[in-house]
Amino acid sequence: MATLAELTSVLRSKNAGALLCTLDLMFETEETYIHVRDSGVLQPGLIAQLYGVSDNEVSIIPYDVAYAIKITVPRLYKSGDPGDTDIYGAQQHAPLLDIEIPD
Amino acid sequence: MPEIRMMATTGMLGYGYTEKAFQRGLEQNLDFIAADSGSMDPGPHYLGEGVPFVSRQALKRDLSLMLEAAVDKKIPMLIGSAGGGGSEPQLALVREVVEEIATEKNLHFDMALIHSEQSAEYLKAKLADGKIESLGPIAELTDDEIDQSERVVAMMGVEPFQAALKGGAQVVLAGRATDASIYSAIPLMRGAHAGLSWHLSKIIECAGQVTTPRPGQDCVIGTLRDDHFLVEPGHPDKRCTRMRIAAHTLYENPSPYRLEEPDGTLVTIDSVYEQLDERIVKVSGSQFEPSAAYTVKLEGVKESGYRTVFIAGVRDPILISVIDDFIESCHERVALEAQNLGVAKDSYRLNVRVYGKNATMGPREPVQDFNGHEIGLLVDVLASDADTSKAIMAKARYALLHTDFPGRKCISGNLAIPFSPSDMPVGMTYQFNIWHRMEIDDPLEPFPIEYVSV
Repeated sequence: MATLAELTSVLRSKNAGALLCTLDLMFETEETYIHVRDSGVLQPGLIAQLYGVSDNEVSIIPYDVAYAIKITVPRLYKSGDPGDTDIYGAQQHAPLLDIEIPD
Repeated sequence: MPEIRMMATTGMLGYGYTEKAFQRGLEQNLDFIAADSGSMDPGPHYLGEGVPFVSRQALKRDLSLMLEAAVDKKIPMLIGSAGGGGSEPQLALVREVVEEIATEKNLHFDMALIHSEQSAEYLKAKLADGKIESLGPIAELTDDEIDQSERVVAMMGVEPFQAALKGGAQVVLAGRATDASIYSAIPLMRGAHAGLSWHLSKIIECAGQVTTPRPGQDCVIGTLRDDHFLVEPGHPDKRCTRMRIAAHTLYENPSPYRLEEPDGTLVTIDSVYEQLDERIVKVSGSQFEPSAAYTVKLEGVKESGYRTVFIAGVRDPILISVIDDFIESCHERVALEAQNLGVAKDSYRLNVRVYGKNATMGPREPVQDFNGHEIGLLVDVLASDADTSKAIMAKARYALLHTDFPGRKCISGNLAIPFSPSDMPVGMTYQFNIWHRMEIDDPLEPFPIEYVSV
């Protein structure tokens, strides 16, 4: 068992426009990438639960050529709305760090 | 098609680039130089106020070298999303800086200004025609929402750039434009492969971000040929790696495979990335799917209210242990005080964020048990006028400083306030209220072009 914090070389979040938050997981090797991609752990249900959205609002796209997995969820608020906490959306990745991937 | 070589000087005009990379790039027989000057990432304020998010000095420095070189080499210079959002005041500022440089350096050229700010009447007519729809999770547009907007820009494609160049302009200062349109305008005008052109443009618009080592913005050179393109850093000590280039379509997009432009979609599913040498990456196989309709993105903001901000620390462990209830009681106290001032509870908005606990992620914060020895309170008030905003903040500050809580020992004050004055008025603030797409028949229609001889 290893966490995504241990398995990823990049784990970042950022706005994809003012309405969406996109999370990129990148891996150093193809082997680690495929292991995580095919683990079955990264499912819309899990991400929906972590980010408080519904399953059908979650997009998960594996990107083989860069050993990366892209996850996109709606922002809690539009960027810059009253109550928004993170205009650029650059610190919204923490809930992913502790996700455990079976060996 | 003869190859087309372009240089992106910086990912954001005003973020800078090195003269070493720039001069080296200029030696490479460039067809044009360009830079993106805008982004909505810094939030709605800059479009609302019509101001840049970089300094005037930085704009002038980055424009100055480019302008001199473009005039000297007799090549086009293209700037997109002028001044941050491409609105009228932002475009006017960039024009003013360009004309100032021209006067100081005695440079002469033909220039086009492409406007992108939209009138309420035009938008309402398009809405009535059923030509505007939401772009993601945001409500459909209404006449009322259009009327409330402070400023709305439309994002142009390549066509207005092309029209300006055909109209004789050497320097093009464009309002809001898709980042990739800045770089694809000239290649597509010369018959380049659309998929390769859009893909190269999408990669180099962020300039230094695709190079390694990473620190700092810098120039990137793109070479577009019939069946592939090359990307290389301007700076001799920097490199482009296959992985970095491939990973770039992930950045700030919901999908790395499909990137939408006004007249179609760049599809990178079949793209092949090769490391040509230590510094250069070769890409082929990218495709472009034309769309049936021509659509431009609309970005608009409306007023959120005048904001006043206050920061303080809490070190008292007893207060930290009851902080949520304490803040709630302060909200109630401020509401009463506001009433005494004749300010209704729903006419202001008081927000207390607890840094150290959950201020970064709010309700999405997964860590629930918190046991820090210190927290930071960031308090802000939004109100419809500046005086009310300040008055409510003064009441909130007093409430937070002196309200009792169970077990309180620190009865001379609950807060460590680092500054005097403590309350910081930041002026009018805005929120995005238009994030939609508009279908148009003529790609030039919302983008009037003005020609200036400098």
